[in-house]
Amino acid sequence: MSRPLLHTIALAGVIAATCSSHALAHCFVGARFLPATLATDDPCVADELSLPTVGWSKTGDFPPASELDISGEISKRITENFGVSIGQNWTSIRQADGTLTQGFNNFETTFQYQILKDREHELAILSGLIVDWGRTGSTGSGLATNYSLVTPTLYFGKGFGDLPSSFSWFRAFAVTGQVGYQIPTTSFDFTQNAFVPQQLVYGASLQYSMPYLKSEIIDLGLPDFINHLIPIVELSLSTPVANNFGNPYTTTGTVNPGVIWVGSYFQVGLEAMIPVNRASGTGVGVLGQLHLYLDDMFPSTIGQPLFGGTSSPRKLTF
Amino acid sequence: MRILTLATTALLTLMTAGFAHAHAFLDHAEPRVGSKVAAAPTEVVLFYSQNLEAAFSSIEVSDANGARVDQGKPRISASTMRVGVKALPPGTYRVRWQVLSVDTHTTEGNFSFTVGP
Repeated sequence: MSRPLLHTIALAGVIAATCSSHALAHCFVGARFLPATLATDDPCVADELSLPTVGWSKTGDFPPASELDISGEISKRITENFGVSIGQNWTSIRQADGTLTQGFNNFETTFQYQILKDREHELAILSGLIVDWGRTGSTGSGLATNYSLVTPTLYFGKGFGDLPSSFSWFRAFAVTGQVGYQIPTTSFDFTQNAFVPQQLVYGASLQYSMPYLKSEIIDLGLPDFINHLIPIVELSLSTPVANNFGNPYTTTGTVNPGVIWVGSYFQVGLEAMIPVNRASGTGVGVLGQLHLYLDDMFPSTIGQPLFGGTSSPRKLTF
Repeated sequence: MRILTLATTALLTLMTAGFAHAHAFLDHAEPRVGSKVAAAPTEVVLFYSQNLEAAFSSIEVSDANGARVDQGKPRISASTMRVGVKALPPGTYRVRWQVLSVDTHTTEGNFSFTVGP
């Protein structure tokens, strides 16, 4: 057996053996479950793993280039309400003339704190700080920058289950969203000879939960597969707002209609990526993701906060 | 090579730690969620996707005025929770539940059903 493999097995054993205590939830707010969204982020700290997220699209260049992105992100609760995510993205861009550029983007970390979870109103609010660390990716290929990006972000999620019962099937809708202000650690990029703008980075999702419809509103006796689906439309945008001298303040982004299948231990999502304008891309791209609920898979080990894990189970009050 | 090692580590960790139980989702209910039944039921039965912890799971049934109509203690067996109800006149009733699955995940929900011709 090779030495690296022995190290791997030993490390896996240590991780599995040493983690202990018990678990709570991914994004449950009262009776509402908000799935992990693909283009934006859900409004909860959680123990989860997105691996892989794969996106394919054509850029807004003339002529357009084909872009393939493969990324992974692991999120870990440090305490019950504070979590950290670590993500990495690999990009491959093939120009129309066959020129190929490949490499890693900058390493990304996200620090998040759960501000509110209102069970009665199915409302969750989360604050976060996203940091793209400069010089941690393929700067030579131009896919990563020499400077860092810091983005304070506010996330929210709201289910409509608290509407009067006369709203009936409408109560299965939910919205999530996020708004961030991206600040580069430099104002001028000397390698690109261009100003680096500060940007408003924002997005939202509108989702219809078939699981919620079945368990809270009406059981239509639909096939089990249908009862696990959450049709969704995501919107992911960014707009330069400052330090953009000489450049247009053009909003770029995509509208992503798709669907998420939700299971007990994982979910699978698939979305089309439709550019909002020519500067955002050419034609329709595709985005897919496999997302694992670590808190459900390993509730007594790695699905627990590192500190101050859930104490003894408690009986909720109605 | 380092990426391969990390990926293998993650996979082995998943395999060695083993799967546990997840959140208990309401799979179906009798009377059915949102249904209208002609004959008044004598009990409400909830079927979940996971086994339940009896000590931390509960159910309430109330009428349109909010008055409790369930009677007796909930009976929990594996992934099923049931509670008896009083003689129900025609009307709409709300079922509120909360359960703890056997691995300490809490879920909750509520739905209504109608008794009437």
